[in-house]
Amino acid sequence: MNNDSPLKAIMVVTVTALVCSVLVTVAAVTLRPIQRAYEDLERIRFIVRVSGLSESVETMSDLEVIGAFQDLEIRLVDLDRGAFDSSNNPDTFDAREAATEPQFRVAIPAELDVASLGTRSSLETVYLLRDGETLQRVILPIHGQGMWSTIYGFLALESDLNTIAALTISEQGETPGIGDVILNPEWQARWQGRRLYDEQRSLRFRISREVVAANTEDASYHVDGLAGATVTLNGVMNLMRYWFGPHGYSRFLQNLSETEGS
Amino acid sequence: MMRARQALLNPLIDENPVTLHILGICSAVAISNSLYSALVMSVALTSVLVFSNVVISMIRRHLPSSVRIIVQMTIIASGVIVVDELLRAFAPEIAQTLSVFVGLIITNCIVLGRAEAFATQHGVALSFLDAIGNGLGFSLILISVAIIRELLGTGSLLDVGIFKPVSEGGWFEPNAFFMLPPSAFFIIGGIIWAVRSWKKEQVESPEFEPISVAELESD
Ligand SMILES: Cc1cc2nc3c(=O)[nH]c(=O)nc-3n(C[C@H](O)[C@H](O)[C@H](O)COP(=O)(O)O)c2cc1C
Repeated sequence: MNNDSPLKAIMVVTVTALVCSVLVTVAAVTLRPIQRAYEDLERIRFIVRVSGLSESVETMSDLEVIGAFQDLEIRLVDLDRGAFDSSNNPDTFDAREAATEPQFRVAIPAELDVASLGTRSSLETVYLLRDGETLQRVILPIHGQGMWSTIYGFLALESDLNTIAALTISEQGETPGIGDVILNPEWQARWQGRRLYDEQRSLRFRISREVVAANTEDASYHVDGLAGATVTLNGVMNLMRYWFGPHGYSRFLQNLSETEGS
Repeated sequence: MMRARQALLNPLIDENPVTLHILGICSAVAISNSLYSALVMSVALTSVLVFSNVVISMIRRHLPSSVRIIVQMTIIASGVIVVDELLRAFAPEIAQTLSVFVGLIITNCIVLGRAEAFATQHGVALSFLDAIGNGLGFSLILISVAIIRELLGTGSLLDVGIFKPVSEGGWFEPNAFFMLPPSAFFIIGGIIWAVRSWKKEQVESPEFEPISVAELESD
């Protein structure tokens, strides 16, 4: 066939597109499990970092991180009931995937959707650190919309289920040098010791650039904002508002503090 | 035999894609501050180049000129995606460091350049050798730049201390400038100057004749 006939051009383009898409698909699908293993390991590293099990997660080998992770109890939480769920396997459950599956997908009512999530999974995986029987820390996955990207992280609470033990951001795509200051360890360290709820159990925690006098009641609920990253920080504040509000972990935390009674 | 040798060896120095054709500078500048990134990038680019040159050479007799470039780009892009997926699976840390620059191999002019200039006109075996040669030519420059930058910027190579920095009680003052992208321009410029002083035939004839002051005054 003549190389310059339109028919030949269409044929060559079609065949190339088909062959290339098969190649790319096969590569993506077959390599996905291996990539997944690495991502799981990364996630475990972030969880161990906020668990307080180790001082320096950065210098730990993969095996040491996995070893430390074994000390945590993995549970699924049914957010609406505010109670542990025992009908699904917490080791294999993936809340991010579940948020798209009809069986687990929960639409978030618009007036409660302060973190612009749209939907979430009805179950979330949480991690408990115990010393014998007594609860030491609870590690909760959180996420929400930043300026350009969805920000994912983990918040660890002390045994009173109200005081923040540590925050870490595990994934974000904010502007390097502007919005990604939320990765700054010094800023994250300022979260430690801050409290979420006041005596009436309303969320009093705030991130803002207001000047709050140190050692006051207000300061214990307050994390400083960062200049130039107001949009990203509003996103972080909104996700805190969502995840520790009525549609998030609020009920679970209340129930847990009653049963664990610390 | 002669042509095979030429295809393989000429791109190393005499027709080096970076220093003679000034191609592929973007990634050479961006990721040459560490030798390890440079090595991985070299392997990634060479693999894509071999893949695209071989495939395009195989179908060269069936390439309608009207859709030639887009078909070549599709093949190159597929190769880049596969390499990117492989890196993410087997070298995830380095894949994160290289980030967009693996994807940007698609726009690296060396790849499309060799496809257009060589693979569409030569057999599979020669195109394969040409790809290896150009891959090595690019790698040679990238790795040289990376060695200079990492050594002068940090005092070590591949995390092995070579010069002991002052901060650890040694004598070497690491020069942070070498960790910044602009330093690569100076180093590549220096390499081009050195190669062209050695191989005078690479010096391009000036695009216009400079007018001498004497000439201006005589008018
Ligand atoms: C290209 C570009 C990227 C930006 N990226 C971010 C970002 O990732 N996060 C953020 O909070 N602000 C970002 N900003 C700045 C915001 O538009 C806004 O000016 C800033 O958040 C206001 O902060 P301020 O009230 O502390 O000055 C970006 C601005 C530009 C021009």
